[in-house]
Amino acid sequence: MTEWEYQPSPDIDETMSEHLRNFPRQPYMFMYAIRSIAAILLRGWMRVYHRMRIDGRSNLPATGSYILVCNHTSHLDTLCMLCSVPLRQIHRTFPAAAADYFFSSLPRSAVSAILINALPFDRKVKGAESLTVCSELLKNEGNVLIIFPEGTRTTTGEMGRFRSGIGRLVVGTDLPVVPCYLDGGTTAWPKGKAFPRPRKLSLRIGKPKRYSHLGKSSESVIAICADLQDAVAELGRSPQ
Amino acid sequence: MTYEAALQSEVFLTYLKIIGGLLVFAGVMITILRVSGKNVSGVWNTYRGWLVMVPIVIGTIFLGRTAIIAGVALLAIFGFKEFARATGLYNDWWMTGLVYLGIVLLGVASYVPDPRLGYEGWYGFFMALPAFVIGAILLVPIFRNRAQGQLQQIALAIVGFMYFGWMFSHLGFLANTTYAYGYILYLIFAVEINDIAAFTCGKLFGKHKLLEKISPNKTIEGSVGAIIISLGIPWLLWFSFPHFEPWHLVATGLIVGVGGQLGDLVISYIKRDIGIKDMGAVIKGHGGILDRVDSMIFVAPIFFHAIRWIHGIREVPVS
Repeated sequence: MTEWEYQPSPDIDETMSEHLRNFPRQPYMFMYAIRSIAAILLRGWMRVYHRMRIDGRSNLPATGSYILVCNHTSHLDTLCMLCSVPLRQIHRTFPAAAADYFFSSLPRSAVSAILINALPFDRKVKGAESLTVCSELLKNEGNVLIIFPEGTRTTTGEMGRFRSGIGRLVVGTDLPVVPCYLDGGTTAWPKGKAFPRPRKLSLRIGKPKRYSHLGKSSESVIAICADLQDAVAELGRSPQ
Repeated sequence: MTYEAALQSEVFLTYLKIIGGLLVFAGVMITILRVSGKNVSGVWNTYRGWLVMVPIVIGTIFLGRTAIIAGVALLAIFGFKEFARATGLYNDWWMTGLVYLGIVLLGVASYVPDPRLGYEGWYGFFMALPAFVIGAILLVPIFRNRAQGQLQQIALAIVGFMYFGWMFSHLGFLANTTYAYGYILYLIFAVEINDIAAFTCGKLFGKHKLLEKISPNKTIEGSVGAIIISLGIPWLLWFSFPHFEPWHLVATGLIVGVGGQLGDLVISYIKRDIGIKDMGAVIKGHGGILDRVDSMIFVAPIFFHAIRWIHGIREVPVS
């Protein structure tokens, strides 16, 4: 008789907090169940409480991996973006979240990892390493990465400069990048307030952009960032 | 069993005092060892684990029958999850899901009243469940139209359900017995003491290896010492089951002393075959859930059925 082959889960020696912080995560049935229920509740809440409106959903690529970029006005942005992707893709949609904030304590990590499915992004020390994790993730078909290229929430309401990370991630690949603009985040949940207010939110999804024609150079990175920033700003200016 | 009943129960309150006293005593001993310059970091971690686990267990028993049955079902689910993750069965969501469902049904069977007799806990359903769950597990490959590797999957799922689910859930069913406080508290207390005794006796007197190929750290001296201590414990805790005759106490001690160590060895060879050290890392200083409840899984059904055969689970014996 040949022996059975066991495949112990690679994270078998990890404690609970390590499970939540490490990435990529193993597929946990409980996590998926809770996340699915949370996603459905979230969609209901956004529709009712924030009267959320999403335009241009048909612009989302039906197959393959893609990146969603959006202006960052409040925590509602992530939630809103999560509502824009089809429900069956919810477990393969990863909002890049600042590791120093969203994974700083056990309860926060639990919410970020289980409910939001966040990808812990180190924006301070190991930025390049986190970008490698992102590009590995996007190599698998059907993953969605949500990125806020400004890197932090705006306090003024004005959109900030796009950081180079998104450019470095996309340059030299054929990944579609979908620009989005969220209107109303600043008034609905101002930075520093504990709870969101019942203000209207409107998300506009633009046409996907590809940058495979650009060579792999630092000029291309700057050009991609500028182009995406323009695309997002353009969506913000377009009439309702 | 309710929290009011727990406060009225002599047995519950006595155990509270004994366990509290032992924890304080152990804490003082470790502190003394530490002050005298011994390295106690390993023991200290284990002790801190106990400080968290003991209040949870006592609190669950205090809350009563519902909490105990739910608690045992949760432990069984997370225990099985560790097994599934260790063997790789976890990637098979149908199998894993069915076993989870089976364990939930075991909890339901322990909780609902018997529809014909009206007693709390549907014994017939509890005992019949393995047939249904195993049947369902066996059907999964048929619905998937897949043969490759399926024998391993169903075998792992059935072992997982029967051992970590069904056998362990007998502990929850004990909450329906007349002497629930005495039985459950004695069982948990005695099984843990047996574990600690085996470890301590092994450390102090251990020379001859017990079963080197399964668990290299266990010794014959530790094992014998634990059995002797386990044989003594029921006499000290006779108040938990005042209707027991002396030979019942001997039998109870043997069940815990021998069964507990067998349960430990079962998990040991499973881990050794898979090639891992611990089943998980949920409890700091103890490893996974299965590393903690391994002995109980084996002891609970034997103790339960011994009680049932000798006294019945509800009848108050006439002495």
